Amino acid sequence: MSRPPRMTLTRMCAPYALWALHFLTLYSLQGLACAQQLWRGRVGGLELMTWVLWGVTAAILVAIAWEAWRAWQIRRALLASEEAGRADHARRHFMVVLCLLGAAISALGVVFTASPLAMLQTCA
Amino acid sequence: MSAATPDHTIPTPGDHLRHADRLARLERVWANAPGLAGQLTAVNHSTVSMRFIVTGFAFLLVGGLLSMFMRLQLAWPGLQVLDPQRYAQFVTMHGTTMMFLFAVPIMGGFGMYLVPKMIGARDLPFPRLSSFGYWCYLFGGLFLYSSFFFGSVPDTGWFMYTPLSDATYSPDKGVDFWLIGVTFAEIAAVVSAVEMITAILITRAPGMDLRRMPLFVWAMLVTSFMIAFGFPPLILASILLEIQRAFDFAFFEVARGGDPLLWQHLFWLFGHPEVYIIFLPGAGVVSMVVQTFARRPIVGYTWVVLALVATGFLSFGLWVHHMFAVGIPLLALAFFSAASMMVAIPTGIQIFAWLATLWAGKPWLRVPMLYIIGFFVVFVCGGLTGVMLAFVPFNWQVHDTHFVVAHLHYVLIGGLMFPLFAGLYYWLPLASGRMPSESLSRSGFWLVFIGFNLAFLPMHITGMAGMPRRVDTYAMELGVQWLNLLSTAAGFVMAVGVVAILIDVALCFLLGRRGVENPWQAGTLEWAIPSPVPTYNFASVPQIESRYPLWDNPEVIAATRRTDGLLGEAHDDRREILGTGIQSGRPEQVIRVSTSTWLPILAAFTIAVLLAGFITSQYWLSILMLIPLIGLFLHWVWTTGDRHAPVEIEVAPGLRLPTQASARNAPGWWALVGTLLIDGSLFASLVFAYFYLWLNAPVWPAGGATVMALTPALVALAPLALPLFASWLGPAALAAGRLRTAIVWQAVAITGGALFLSLHLPALWAAVGAPQVHAYASVVWTLAGFHAVHVVVAMLVGGFTATRIQCGYVDAVRSLESRVAAAFWRYTVGIGVITWAVLHLFPRWV
Repeated sequence: MSRPPRMTLTRMCAPYALWALHFLTLYSLQGLACAQQLWRGRVGGLELMTWVLWGVTAAILVAIAWEAWRAWQIRRALLASEEAGRADHARRHFMVVLCLLGAAISALGVVFTASPLAMLQTCA
Repeated sequence: MSAATPDHTIPTPGDHLRHADRLARLERVWANAPGLAGQLTAVNHSTVSMRFIVTGFAFLLVGGLLSMFMRLQLAWPGLQVLDPQRYAQFVTMHGTTMMFLFAVPIMGGFGMYLVPKMIGARDLPFPRLSSFGYWCYLFGGLFLYSSFFFGSVPDTGWFMYTPLSDATYSPDKGVDFWLIGVTFAEIAAVVSAVEMITAILITRAPGMDLRRMPLFVWAMLVTSFMIAFGFPPLILASILLEIQRAFDFAFFEVARGGDPLLWQHLFWLFGHPEVYIIFLPGAGVVSMVVQTFARRPIVGYTWVVLALVATGFLSFGLWVHHMFAVGIPLLALAFFSAASMMVAIPTGIQIFAWLATLWAGKPWLRVPMLYIIGFFVVFVCGGLTGVMLAFVPFNWQVHDTHFVVAHLHYVLIGGLMFPLFAGLYYWLPLASGRMPSESLSRSGFWLVFIGFNLAFLPMHITGMAGMPRRVDTYAMELGVQWLNLLSTAAGFVMAVGVVAILIDVALCFLLGRRGVENPWQAGTLEWAIPSPVPTYNFASVPQIESRYPLWDNPEVIAATRRTDGLLGEAHDDRREILGTGIQSGRPEQVIRVSTSTWLPILAAFTIAVLLAGFITSQYWLSILMLIPLIGLFLHWVWTTGDRHAPVEIEVAPGLRLPTQASARNAPGWWALVGTLLIDGSLFASLVFAYFYLWLNAPVWPAGGATVMALTPALVALAPLALPLFASWLGPAALAAGRLRTAIVWQAVAITGGALFLSLHLPALWAAVGAPQVHAYASVVWTLAGFHAVHVVVAMLVGGFTATRIQCGYVDAVRSLESRVAAAFWRYTVGIGVITWAVLHLFPRWV
């Protein structure tokens, strides 16, 4: 098995950054749709923009899941390590847990943000 | 601690003499200079932070006084205590004072005082910057309040909405006083953010890895990043509005293609994170107080850290909930409504962690805990009305009513003032060495708690009955006069409580009973410091092995007071702090910091004169002031390094560490990273402004402007390749010891910058014309100007670095300044390319 990636502060915060990217993308694309009539045609009973926003949501959720999976891999490697119990080890484990919890809360945030798409038209 | 004090922790008489000698040396090296000059030149974090706290409380009293007049006016319909204009002025100044001159600086002051002590550091890494921030804050506040003397008090609300605040509807200088004064004072917040980020990341005591950091330190770290991202949109908005008012630009003017809502977006992009910038340090205080008075470690440390970090991010997705009534499409409102509810989750996690800690511990109901209980009651109520306001239909219903006034005061007074007073009483024995009067302290609490609730609880009802906010009276028909009378009376009770608390604290310093050290039996490192607190905090930098060193290893107290540990010896009579690894907390470097100096106060004063020249339209004075200002800053940066500083220092027997000029994680490097985060946020806000104006424009480019032809645009861009290459090749030459070549590369970079400016700006003028014609030209010139300023600064940095190499300050080993200059050039080229694409490619594409 290849060596698991290191847990850095940047990686620890990546799920939140993905939440922010999702939020910004949804808000910007929605603004473009209403002000510039971007992707307003209907496909399969929904506006194309709605499909795009759902697609962005799905992609971001996959990215968050991928970050969480990597954190999980690091966790497994740490638990299997012979150095378990050392201070360095405990610190890395702490960061991995923070990353996993952050991924959960970010995924929840993404679902929360996207949920109005199921109820409202793009420019309602 | 006096040098002659016997210290029985030192084993032999010989060691004791040596210890006394070292301690006396530390005292001398870290002391402020005597007299008034010593006070004006002090840079030590304890001294400067105390000033922030005292000045913050002074502004609290002033802002509170204004609110007393407002409450008198509203006590009954139709009163004439304040005329409508004076009322609008007091509303504006009350909000502005409490947000910008009280809440943010005082929490910054608490952080500045406590963070180094909690992380086992002797000082902050940039003491001159701390002092400079304080003077900017003080002068900015005085600048704002000087508007009373000139009869031009800001009166358009603390949010300065356009078009009310533009030159047409507010032709006097009130808005200028606000824009300039507040931006001046905000310098303190942004420089303290850079300082806190650097201090927390790289100056923690050895052994204090990330999972051992006190929760207050985590809170300050997250808050500092939030300031770095959250303040620039407001700074940008203030600059845009000021140049619109002063030079007739058109960002917010509809007739010339501008949009008043751009102001609201930029303001609330700052304004909502601001609420959490105020609350998170308060939450940090609550965590510290709760664990001590529950007499057990906090329950769910990891969860609380998670909540702090998550709140830091989520708070940036809430800004439009201040704009639910401006006509934004419902779906967009729903995104923000969802995020507004979402942020309750991390806040709830913290509340439950604190309750669980109290539940599992043996709570000790002393005065700080009283305030924590007050915090729970008040803040939870404010949070719940916040969730109510996140619902769009309800928000519309109570928009601009006193319901919102009630909500925001429950959140801010609950989330800031109660934790602040809890922290004040908690750390008072540390700062003063004395105990406050228990009876007066408790009386102060009950007056504030009862007064606050009786003043603001009725406003929920008056607001739902339809009483508008920011209006100097209300109709008798609303039937809310008795509730208003109650609010006014209770407001005075609360004011008496605040004054009682401040008198209690002052008396404590003068007459308080001398206390025992660590009277609350707390577990964190700040309580290892003797009282009165030495200016160097710790005689030896402590080494720790747990989250609560004083609980788990009380020996650490004696170890920090001996001089046989890390940095117990003041080498070369220089102030030194220890630098450690970001994650691991392993010793990495010795950071030499500045002693007392006139530079910060002189620089801040020069800026004050420059801004006074600007507001009075004496532009010659402003330009003239640039000369001493640049001179002062050049002197400042020139004295940051020492040509004769050793490359390595022995910090303890057998442990040699590099000094910062040759260390990889040098504070100067992290200061650059922090500064570029702030600058990048400013740049992103400006790009946002460009696209926001484009979004609703019928044509783009507009106002008769054209897009520059592609060939001259490419020719203008090409010279920026020179600094880009130089930023790689210069440091490489330096690392290889070829100093002359490294200087040549600096010259090449400067030439490239000058060529770019001389080609780009004239061609842009030919295509776009004057910035006053249309919002398009205004925003294009502002973007181009923003980048041009960066190029000029990068050229100055390059020239400075070349001189430093020439004079022997920078070489293959001590390469920090060269690395900083190179990184700044790369950043400048990066934003240059983005600016170029926005200005010259995007209009073609659309």
